[in-house]
Amino acid sequence: MNGLQGLSNDLAAAVERAGRAVFSVAGRARLGSTGVHWRPGLVVTADHTVHVDEEVTITGPDGRALTARVAGRDPTIDVAVLKVDAPGVPVAEVADSSAVRVGHIVLALGAGPRASWGVVSSLGEGRMLHLDLTLYPGFSGGPLVDAQGRVVGINTSGASRHWQLAIPAAAVNRVVDELQRRGRIPRAYLGVSTQPVRLPELVRQRLNLDQQTAVIVVEVQSGSPAAAAGVTIGDVIVSLGTTRITDPTDLKSALRPDRVGESLTASVLRGGEPKDLQVTVGERPRRG
Amino acid sequence: MSVRDADSESGLADIAALAEHLRLVTVEVTDAGALLGSGVLWPAGRVVTNAHVVRRPEVSLRLADGRSVRARVVARDTDVDLALLDIPEIGVPAATLAEPETVRVGSFVAAVGHPLGVRGALSTGIVCAIGPIGRNGRSWIQADLHLAPGNSGGPLADAAGRIVGVNSRAAGSLALAVPVSVVARFVQEARG
Repeated sequence: MNGLQGLSNDLAAAVERAGRAVFSVAGRARLGSTGVHWRPGLVVTADHTVHVDEEVTITGPDGRALTARVAGRDPTIDVAVLKVDAPGVPVAEVADSSAVRVGHIVLALGAGPRASWGVVSSLGEGRMLHLDLTLYPGFSGGPLVDAQGRVVGINTSGASRHWQLAIPAAAVNRVVDELQRRGRIPRAYLGVSTQPVRLPELVRQRLNLDQQTAVIVVEVQSGSPAAAAGVTIGDVIVSLGTTRITDPTDLKSALRPDRVGESLTASVLRGGEPKDLQVTVGERPRRG
Repeated sequence: MSVRDADSESGLADIAALAEHLRLVTVEVTDAGALLGSGVLWPAGRVVTNAHVVRRPEVSLRLADGRSVRARVVARDTDVDLALLDIPEIGVPAATLAEPETVRVGSFVAAVGHPLGVRGALSTGIVCAIGPIGRNGRSWIQADLHLAPGNSGGPLADAAGRIVGVNSRAAGSLALAVPVSVVARFVQEARG
């Protein structure tokens, strides 16, 4: 057997192995999506594909339709976790996503299973994996699989028009851990509305900042963590904790569910002068 | 990843050898000098292409060695998008066919054809799915692989160069190929 046939067999075996833990998810009207049996009784999918708030029908690799319940969501990384009783459906083998390198061969799986392949093209900002492969309709929420058939992430086409992305397994694990620890996934918040703003060259030089942009606070909700920390309208937030804030998306992805209750230093510019504020990340009050 | 690291050298040589092998069994289907599509040198001295490629009773074939031969359409079925052509003895070995249903989802596949007039162009990918598009219809080998006009009628082969299908068309960025089992049945029935 030549090397190419070996690779071909390995890829087909990887699809078969990972495909045993793959569900089709009917969480929106027209196009279904894909989910992964992540831990016993918990199926992970892409949050943007689950338009319902309670029950959703999912179909296992054996063709059985099951009723799952939305157990939690983290829209900041586009993950939804569904609770389901799925005896007999194996749990995916989840790999250490920090071992993923640019250039690694990866497979994207959709329910069926269907598969596409390509390479990891870059390790993006916000801890996402950028992929050079095609995510076909319905692939969102499905597993990104290495050549051994281990799951290294969850694919999503929802986060960007320009990139095919995967949420690394480590980030998914954090969300699932939170859900199992607290019984729900809290939504972290500061209570500010922001807009991107360009930093003046003089300010950047004086304060030794290498970022071109930051965000300016245009609203502070009363009684919010930001209000309690003394954040005011007009403050320019440059960083939060160790995360550089270059646009509102950075702020959103810094506010992970497991950060609720954590005290972080917000570095702001107020009237052009740097100022550090201690802010305790709060939990967004739940609607209804 | 060990698969790639261990085999990168031999793997690349394999792909080059595979492309060369497939080019020898792929023909250009032309009419009055205009490229119509591709075709496969099928066992027993026949050529298989798509029905949508040949709309006249006779066409010209350009072989990989540059020779041109006339071919007569002996069977054509638009339902399965296949046509069988009769050619004179050319002394070139035909393609090797894969056993039916040996490719799986994830298997490596390669297509050779003349997309947009580029002679003998190779594209590679994996099998994305095997089955109908949507709920109904015929079963296709759906490959995660790039096809363009001019690929029609050309071979889809496995990692060993065995024919697993005949490329028919693209659906978005998916390549759709008629499975070899369907082609074999068509050729069998055309012979009567």
